[in-house]
Amino acid sequence: MSFAPELRSHSQKVCNFYKRAMRTLEAYHVARYVIRYHQVILRNELDKNKAVCDPKEHRRLLRVAENELFMSQHPIPVAKFARSVGIAGGVAYDRVQVIPDWVMDYWHPLEKAHYPEYFKRRECRKCEYIKKWNDGEIR
Amino acid sequence: MCFNSFFFLFFFMLINYFFFVYFIMNGLSVFFEWEIISFNSMSIVMSILLDWMSLLFMMFVSLISSVVIFYSKSYMNSELNLNRFIILVLMFVFSMVLLIISPNLISILLGWDGLGLISYCLVIYYQNLKSYNAGMLTALSNRIGDVMILMVICWVMNYGSWNYIFYFDFMKNDYVMFIISFMIIIAAMTKSAQIPFSSWLPAAMAAPTPVSALVHSSTLVTAGVYLLIRFNYLLIDMFFFKVLLFLSILTMFMSGISANYEFDLKKIIALSTLSQLGLMMSILSLGFPDIAFFHLLTHAMFKALLFMCAGVIIHMMNDIQDIRYMGGLSLYIPLTSLCLNISNLSLCGIPFLSGFYSKDLILEMVSFNSFNLMVFILFYLSTGLTVFYTFRLIMYVMINDFNLMMIYNLYDEDYIMLNSMFVLLFMSLLSGSFLSWFIFSYPYMIYLPFNLKLMVIYVSILGSILGFMVSNMGIYSLNKLLLSYNLSSFLCLMWFMPNLSTYGLSYIYLNFSQILFKNIDMGWSEIYSGKGIFNILKNYSVFYNIYQMNNFKIYLFSFILWFMILFIFFFI
Repeated sequence: MSFAPELRSHSQKVCNFYKRAMRTLEAYHVARYVIRYHQVILRNELDKNKAVCDPKEHRRLLRVAENELFMSQHPIPVAKFARSVGIAGGVAYDRVQVIPDWVMDYWHPLEKAHYPEYFKRRECRKCEYIKKWNDGEIR
Repeated sequence: MCFNSFFFLFFFMLINYFFFVYFIMNGLSVFFEWEIISFNSMSIVMSILLDWMSLLFMMFVSLISSVVIFYSKSYMNSELNLNRFIILVLMFVFSMVLLIISPNLISILLGWDGLGLISYCLVIYYQNLKSYNAGMLTALSNRIGDVMILMVICWVMNYGSWNYIFYFDFMKNDYVMFIISFMIIIAAMTKSAQIPFSSWLPAAMAAPTPVSALVHSSTLVTAGVYLLIRFNYLLIDMFFFKVLLFLSILTMFMSGISANYEFDLKKIIALSTLSQLGLMMSILSLGFPDIAFFHLLTHAMFKALLFMCAGVIIHMMNDIQDIRYMGGLSLYIPLTSLCLNISNLSLCGIPFLSGFYSKDLILEMVSFNSFNLMVFILFYLSTGLTVFYTFRLIMYVMINDFNLMMIYNLYDEDYIMLNSMFVLLFMSLLSGSFLSWFIFSYPYMIYLPFNLKLMVIYVSILGSILGFMVSNMGIYSLNKLLLSYNLSSFLCLMWFMPNLSTYGLSYIYLNFSQILFKNIDMGWSEIYSGKGIFNILKNYSVFYNIYQMNNFKIYLFSFILWFMILFIFFFI
C-alpha cells in the first residue's frame, strides 16, 4: 500500500522534538538562568516558523531540526526522574521486581506440603475471588 | 544479622591489628601447612601465609567491610532481601581473606574466582536491565583473569608444586616463569581494570552503593595490585612490567579526563578509583611495591568513605545520581559534607591527610628517579586532573545552587550511617601517618630541586582553578569550546574503549551466529530433521489413510484388475 496513515500527527511530533531539545539544553547547561536563556532562544527559533502552512515545508523543517538535534545531542542525557523510563528515566528504573502470585501455583506438591494451612487458605481465597468476579463485585 | 556481622568483623579486625603490630615489631612471618591427603608421590596440602602485609591488609578489609555492613543496615533498610545481601557481602569478605592469606596458587584461584562471582551477584542485586548488563560485563571481564590464573596453575605444575613463593629465587630466568609472569600481569590487569579491561568498573556502579564502597573501591579492584605485589620479586626485571607501566599510566590519564566530563556521581568516583589504580600499578611497575601497598591501603579508606557519602546524597536526592541536579548540599547535610570534603582533599593529596603521605611519596619517587619524560608529564598531569575533577565535584555538589526543584527540604542523614562514616573519617585522617610509621622503618632519602618539589602544589592549584571555572559556566563562557559534541563524547565515553571491547569484539561473531542460526538451525536442519521428517511421515500417513478408508473399493478394484490380467494372459 503506498499510503500509510500516520499514527502521530505533525504537531505531536513537533512537541516531542521540542521536549527532547529542551532536555538536551538542560543536559548541556547547569545553572537555571543559563538554561532558561537558551530555551528562550530555542523557542524563538520554533516560533519563527509558526505560521507555515505547507505540509511539505513542515516535514522538511522537522527533518532538518531532528538532524540538528541528533548532531548536537549530549553524550550523557539528564535523568530527572530516577525511577522512570524514557527520556527522563534514570538508573533506578525497574529496580524492585514484584514476583506474581501465580508462581505459587507451580510449586511442587512436596514444597506445598510444608505450608498446608497457607495453601488451603489460598485455595479458598481463589474461589472467593472467582465468585466475586462472576458476580460483578470486582472489576 | 547486620549487627552480628558487624561485631564479628570488627572483632576480627582487632585481632588482626594486634597480630600485625606484634609481627611487624618482631619481624615474624608464619607459614602453616596442612597435608590433606598424600598418596604415593602426590600430596594435596592447604597452606596459609601470615606476615605483616597479609595481616595489615586483612585488618583494613575487615574494618571497611564491618563499617559497610553497619552502613547498609540503614541504607538498605527498605530492601526485602537484606539477609541475602549481607550473606553475599560476608562471602565476598571470606573470598578476599582467602586470597590475602594464600601462598598457594590453588587457594588464590579459589579466592580470585570467588571474588569475581560474588561481585557479579552483588552487581545484579537490583534486578533491572542495566544491572544485568553491568553484571555480565563485570563477570566476563573478570573471567579473563580467572582463565589466566588457571593457565598459570597449569604452567606452574612444571615445578611440582603450586607454592609460588618458593620458586622466585631459583627459577627467575626460566622460560616458564616468563610465560607465568605474562599471564599473572594480564590477570591483575583484568581485576584492577587497566586498559583494555577498564570498561567494567564504571558500569559496575549499577550495584548498590555499599557494594561500590566495599567492592569496587577498596577490595576487589585492589586484588590485582596485591597479586602483583606478591609476585613482584619475580616480575621486577621483566619486559612486561614496562608494558604494564605504559598501560597503567594511560589508564590513569584516560580516567582522569573522563571523570571531568562525567555527570553521574558514582561514575565520577569510579573513574577516580580507576585513576588511583593506574597510579598504584604504575608505581608498582617502576619497582616500588611497598609504596604501592601503602597507597592501596590509604586509598581504600578515603574511597570507601567517599562512596558512603555519595550514598547519603543519593538517598537524599530520591535516587538521582546526576550532579547537574545537585547543589548547596553542605547546608543540609553538614556532617556528610564534612566527610565528603575530607575524603576528597585526601584524594587530592592535601598535606597531612592520609592520601598525602602515599601520593606525595609516589610523585617524589617519580621525580627523583630518572624515568621517561612522558612518564613524568603524565604522572603530574593526572595529579592535576585528580584535583580538577575533585574540585568540580565539590562545586557541583556542595557549593552551586540546588537545581532539582523550586521548593525543597532535604535531610536523610541518620546516626547509623554517620557513625559508620566517622570511623572511616578517623582512619582517613590518621591512617597515612600511622602506616608510614609502621611500613617504612626508615624514610626514603629524596633530594629534589625546589621547583620540582613544589610541582605538585603548582598542578594542584592549576587543577583547582580549572575545576572552579568549569563548574561555573555562564551564558558567554570561553570554556564552551570543550563542550563540542565530538570532543566531549570521545573524552567522556572513555575513548570509546568500552564500545570496542563489547560491540567491537562480539558484533562480528554475533552477526555470523545469527546467519548460521537462520540458515542452519531454522533452515536446512529443519528440513532434514525435525519438521521435514514430520512432514514426510504425515504425508505418508495421509497416503496410507486412503487405503485404510477405502478398503472395499480397493479390494474390488484389485479384483477387477487381476481378473483383467488373467483374462489377457489366458485368452489373448
